[in-house]
Amino acid sequence: MISVQNLHKSFRGKAVLNGVDLEILEGETLAIIGRSGSGKSVLMKHIIGLLQPDAGKITVDGIDINAISYADLRRIRQNFGVLFQGGALFDSMSSFDNVAFPLRTFTSMTEEEIEHVVLECLGMVELPEVGAKMPSELSGGMQKRVALARAVALKPRYILYDEPTSGLDPETSNTIDDLIQNLSDQLNVTSIVVTHDMHSVLNIADKAAFVHDGRMHWAGTIDELHRSDDQILRSFVKANEYLIGK
Amino acid sequence: MIQYTKKIILDPVQALGRYSQLLFKAFGAVPEFSTYRKNLWEQMIHVGIDSMPIVMLAAAFSGAVTTVQTSYQLVSPLIPKSIIGSIVVPSMVLELGAVVTGFILAGRVGARIAAELGTMRVTEQIDALEAMGLNSIGYLIVPRVIAGIVMFPVLYVAACFVGIGGGMLVGHLGGFVPMGVFVDGAREFFQPFDPIFGLIKCLVFGFIITSVSCFKGYYTRGGAEGVGKATTEAAVASCVLLLLADLILAATLL
Amino acid sequence: MKISNELKVGLTIIVAITIFIFGVRYFEDLPLFRTTYDLTAEFDNAGGLIPGNLVRVNGVSVGSVNGVSISEKTGKVEVKFHVDRKISVTEGSYATVSGIDALGAVRMDLFLGPRDAALIPEGGLVGTGEGNDLFGDLSARAPEMVQKFDDVLSGLDKVLSETGTMLSEPESDFRTTLGSVKGSVAQLERLLKEERARISIILQNVEDATGSIKTITSDNGPAVTKLVSDLSVTIASLDRELVSLGEASRSLNELLTKVNEGQGTLGMLVNDPSMYQKMDSTLNGINALLADFRVNPGKYLGQMKLVDIF
Ligand SMILES: Nc1ncnc2c1ncn2[C@@H]1O[C@H](COP(=O)(O)OP(=O)(O)OP(=O)(O)O)[C@@H](O)[C@H]1O
Ligand SMILES: [Mg+2]
Repeated sequence: MISVQNLHKSFRGKAVLNGVDLEILEGETLAIIGRSGSGKSVLMKHIIGLLQPDAGKITVDGIDINAISYADLRRIRQNFGVLFQGGALFDSMSSFDNVAFPLRTFTSMTEEEIEHVVLECLGMVELPEVGAKMPSELSGGMQKRVALARAVALKPRYILYDEPTSGLDPETSNTIDDLIQNLSDQLNVTSIVVTHDMHSVLNIADKAAFVHDGRMHWAGTIDELHRSDDQILRSFVKANEYLIGK
Repeated sequence: MIQYTKKIILDPVQALGRYSQLLFKAFGAVPEFSTYRKNLWEQMIHVGIDSMPIVMLAAAFSGAVTTVQTSYQLVSPLIPKSIIGSIVVPSMVLELGAVVTGFILAGRVGARIAAELGTMRVTEQIDALEAMGLNSIGYLIVPRVIAGIVMFPVLYVAACFVGIGGGMLVGHLGGFVPMGVFVDGAREFFQPFDPIFGLIKCLVFGFIITSVSCFKGYYTRGGAEGVGKATTEAAVASCVLLLLADLILAATLL
Repeated sequence: MKISNELKVGLTIIVAITIFIFGVRYFEDLPLFRTTYDLTAEFDNAGGLIPGNLVRVNGVSVGSVNGVSISEKTGKVEVKFHVDRKISVTEGSYATVSGIDALGAVRMDLFLGPRDAALIPEGGLVGTGEGNDLFGDLSARAPEMVQKFDDVLSGLDKVLSETGTMLSEPESDFRTTLGSVKGSVAQLERLLKEERARISIILQNVEDATGSIKTITSDNGPAVTKLVSDLSVTIASLDRELVSLGEASRSLNELLTKVNEGQGTLGMLVNDPSMYQKMDSTLNGINALLADFRVNPGKYLGQMKLVDIF
């Protein structure tokens, strides 16, 4: 279980998060939606302790991650898989080595076992052939998918996805949505998906949270999202529905 | 006025504080050998072996030039030719071997490290490492600094070897001083502490160049421009601190 | 076969360490592959020996000095050095410090004991003998010489002023006689003063020279030693001249004392021919000396000019 209470964060005097509350239960998939620049990525980085809050508290399985030692924090982080918005592939390594990296670092698997897992993960993101390529030789969307393969390679308990489908064609987007859903259902992964894509939200999420003006403007289940008459939320969802042509 | 004070006093002090903090964390990560073991060998190749040709080239030329200049300046028939060896060898061992290597590494390795880490920072690769539960300082900085401390003395030995060899050869072939006489002169005034001092210098230089460049790279901000800035600053700061350390070491140890 | 990174780095480091060790041994003039063994010698005076100076046996360098320190127990100079293991330093061996300290070319000479005697053990004590440092001796004597010169001059000065006082009183022929003495003495004084400056310059030059020829190695040794012994001879002869100058002024002094004691009357002096003659000869002596000095300063200083080249 992850909970965020009254999170405040500002950068050089400019407030980005202004008292955000959030709770996500074991096995749930939560979609965080919000306009560009509203602080979704910043919120996500707080959850794994990459940024320290100015005020507020973040707990993972009941542990306040800003009150523990660095070594303990790292142990907690090992339960997470994170897909960064820009992919963040290690550009000095091939795609294969990128996906194999967490396996080599944190498990005692043999090279054959690692190869097996890596190819499986690359297969899940529909890129079984790119193992030998360097990140710079891949398109943006492909990089994103290799990064996704890396994030899930260790079969973590929590996965944070920062815009997993942005920049992908609708067909590949659907594949990724399916992957996220499968992981969630089969391995009981708890997922946080940051996205603009309402189509994804409706496909995969159990709950949604709408960040607006540095606060959690609205939070609820997908059903409640459909029925909500909140003006700002409605206009955000509508704008999205135009985009995906509904 | 306040801004000015901040710029010349507060900012450097703050930078020093952040630098020490980073070093402290890096020292803490040294025992986690398994984290950076593989990286260590790679960095030793990058810092040490890949720099070998350019360091040797520069050292050979400085040795040769020192020989030619010394013989040019000592024209008196009363001064024996062997004095050339007595001057070239200690110059190389005490100063040139370490400083020439230092400048080359500051430009070559320092800039490289800062650009590498800076790019990793701005493309969130460092965040990705951290998010996996890895100690990014241990993984990225420790092996680079250790590689600097270990490989700098190796480069220094190579520099002295080819520098003195180059000096000797040019002296011989150029008719300035026969090799045997050169060696006699070098032996006459050879102090066993000189090469030890040279090695101590190298350890310090290796540490300064790599740690300062890691610092600049690790805390890069602001995209490609930030990376460029960090790279330049790393090379400049390494050179300046290197000269400073050179003076302090000479003043305290000689 | 692909060479792994570990192997590449490891090999490079090993090569570097090897070059370092052999390089240092090479310039320390140690045998590259044989080991050496350490010995100690105690001297009363190390004569400027420093670590790194060569140790020679019959003119062949076989090792070098590791360290020079004053022993706390004995107050003597303890010199630690090492020599090539193939040299058998047997009981009865002794060491001397030689070379020219002022030139910075000091070395230790080791004279081996009988070949069939027992070896001195590792770290053992080797006996010592007197070395020779010609130039050092000479440098040490230089201030003394200047002092002597000075003494003579001030003695002459005193005599002169006494004579002056005495002569200012009564009028007599003697005044003219002594007037010429005064003239001569003043001349001598001037000359000596000039030469004193010159001599101290020369001695200063000697001092400077030691700085600039610090580099002259044992190859130039013989020439330097010759130079130095010439210089020594020069100074010795200068010493002799000073002695005779001293004698001259002493007899002048004696004479004036007698003039003083002669009941204060000059008539007695004038009428005493032996006195007069004595004085005359003294005067002649001084004059001759002066003339000699003027005509042929080379006799006194000529050889010293050798030193001027520095
Ligand atoms: N390290 C930082 N330093 C300064 N400001 C930052 C930093 N990171 C984020 N910000 C600011 O915080 C705000 C929120 O950024 P964030 O990346 O969280 O937006 P986002 O909601 O993820 O937007 P997008 O959907 O476009 O990715 C932005 O205005 C950004 O300028
Ligand atoms: Mg974002």
